[in-house]
Amino acid sequence: MIGVVIGVFLIMSLLSLSEGVKTAVLSQLNMMGNDLIIIMPGELTDMMTTFAGGLELTDDDIKAIEKAEGVEAVIPMTYKGIVMRYQGEKKTVLLSGIPLEKGLDILRTDMGFELVEGRWPIPGKREIFVGFLVPKEIFPGMEVGTQIALKGKQFEVVGVLKSVGSKQDDSQVYIDLAVYREITGEREGAKMAMAKVKPGYSADVVVENIKESLEENRKRRKGEDLPPYTVLSSEKMSDIVGNIMGLIQVAIFGFASIAILVGAIGIMNTMYTSVHDRIKEIGIMKAVGAKRKTIIAIFLIESGIFGLAGGLGGIILGLGLAKIIEIYAQSQYFFLLKASITPQLILFGLAFSFLIGCIAGYLPARGASKLNPVDALRYE
Amino acid sequence: MNVEPLIKLENVWKIYQLGKVELTVLRGINLEIHPGAFVTIMGPSGSGKSTLMHIVGCLDVPTKGKVFLEKQNIMELSEDDLAQIRGQRIGFVFQQFNLLQSLNALENVMLPMVFQGVPENKRIKRAKELLTSLDLGKRIYHRPSELSGGERQRVAIARALSNNPEIIVADEPTGNLDSTTGKMIMEVFIDLHKKEKKTIIVVTHDPHIAEYTEEVINIMDGQIVSNHLAKEKVLWEKQ
Repeated sequence: MIGVVIGVFLIMSLLSLSEGVKTAVLSQLNMMGNDLIIIMPGELTDMMTTFAGGLELTDDDIKAIEKAEGVEAVIPMTYKGIVMRYQGEKKTVLLSGIPLEKGLDILRTDMGFELVEGRWPIPGKREIFVGFLVPKEIFPGMEVGTQIALKGKQFEVVGVLKSVGSKQDDSQVYIDLAVYREITGEREGAKMAMAKVKPGYSADVVVENIKESLEENRKRRKGEDLPPYTVLSSEKMSDIVGNIMGLIQVAIFGFASIAILVGAIGIMNTMYTSVHDRIKEIGIMKAVGAKRKTIIAIFLIESGIFGLAGGLGGIILGLGLAKIIEIYAQSQYFFLLKASITPQLILFGLAFSFLIGCIAGYLPARGASKLNPVDALRYE
Repeated sequence: MNVEPLIKLENVWKIYQLGKVELTVLRGINLEIHPGAFVTIMGPSGSGKSTLMHIVGCLDVPTKGKVFLEKQNIMELSEDDLAQIRGQRIGFVFQQFNLLQSLNALENVMLPMVFQGVPENKRIKRAKELLTSLDLGKRIYHRPSELSGGERQRVAIARALSNNPEIIVADEPTGNLDSTTGKMIMEVFIDLHKKEKKTIIVVTHDPHIAEYTEEVINIMDGQIVSNHLAKEKVLWEKQ
């Protein structure tokens, strides 16, 4: 039965999270125009270590990207969790530094940034704009024109963004990159950069150009242990993310299937024992008129309940894990995803585990139904 | 008696295959049991009387020969058809009582009705009536382990009667009871025979039990050696 618990546990956590992850990642990617290229430090295959490991692009790297043929503009982007104080209340927010002077147009045209209230900040001034959910969930009642404090310095909230459809972006606080550097003390570098492709160039060609340019730049700095880069067009990025998600799903489903198979065999053995322990009872029931299908039904329901009990444990653990990951991800602010725990999902989990129990119990139940009543009655 | 027999056995053989050895338990039994009869099948242990009872009760089928229940040859019926007949028309009472230990008296009595699809309120009503009529009104929520032998056998009788069958088949019903309690149980059968005109077949090796019945069939080594009406009707009368 522990196998069923583990199997259902894996499936439930997978199902409840994967949709969330997929929509979170893809919706963000889809927001981008096709002529944007993303440059990240680290190998794509180590995406998680890149996100968590704090690799950065240097200013040299960014210059190299700018020099590549077909690049119209580069926006270094960087972010950091930071404590923000608003009317005496302190909360950690994700502060995102964007070079407003050259980047704002690209954000507006290619990433769908739009204000619902207020105006864009003036570059260099102590002004911020916030994501759609900031005045709703993080600091309820925050209004344009009010003051907030970051690292002991006063800033004015000048604009609120329209929702971009992802909780992560909608919960961020945005600031001019220069001001960001000033208050965080991060003098150079960026977590990632976005390059806009010049009109008339194909994104794929420009991706190659950027790679070459970065390689050359690195050769000049031989001896330093530099991490590799990942350069992707937004289209490619969504493909890859989709593929990775698919692979993870296949792998987890594989594990889950094995666990469920083991669990099913366990239930089958339990049921064989249960049938064997009750041979006499089966004989009695047959003697007083139980038909074969009645006996089968009795044992199938019993094994189904075994499955259901295992499934219930798996559902509780699985959804619990999904919820914990969700809370953890939200508190870390790097991967805002929602665990989708729907009644349908729970119902599916219960029905599925009941079914597994029934399938596992079928052979023992059929064996029980085939017992000869006279022999069964004599059995002690 | 020109009435059509209720149960008729024609040249019934039962042979068990034990590895390479054949064990012939019944050798060409011919038997007629009429509706409303009260019959004892007597014989020493190993004589085949229990096997005969299983066949008469549609719990088993012969290796050779024909068994008719009214005009239906039960050899032509499926396993589930036989289960249906057992559930509706035949009630069993066993020496070992054969009650389900996990169910209380009421639930045990209701069990055959469950298999016949009787609605729950009717099941409960009928089972309570039966248990009350057998003096078990105060015992209905007790489990078999909390009942005495005589009480258990009366629960088993109530269960046998639950679907109001025409035939009651009892295999050594007093075998596990002391003589006083045994007498009480036989009294119940006599009552059923006289008041409700049930056909009752009792298997026993105890000649005292046979004295209660109208007809005694002696069986030995798988063959009927005598089949006669009891010389004197010494039916035990209720005081």
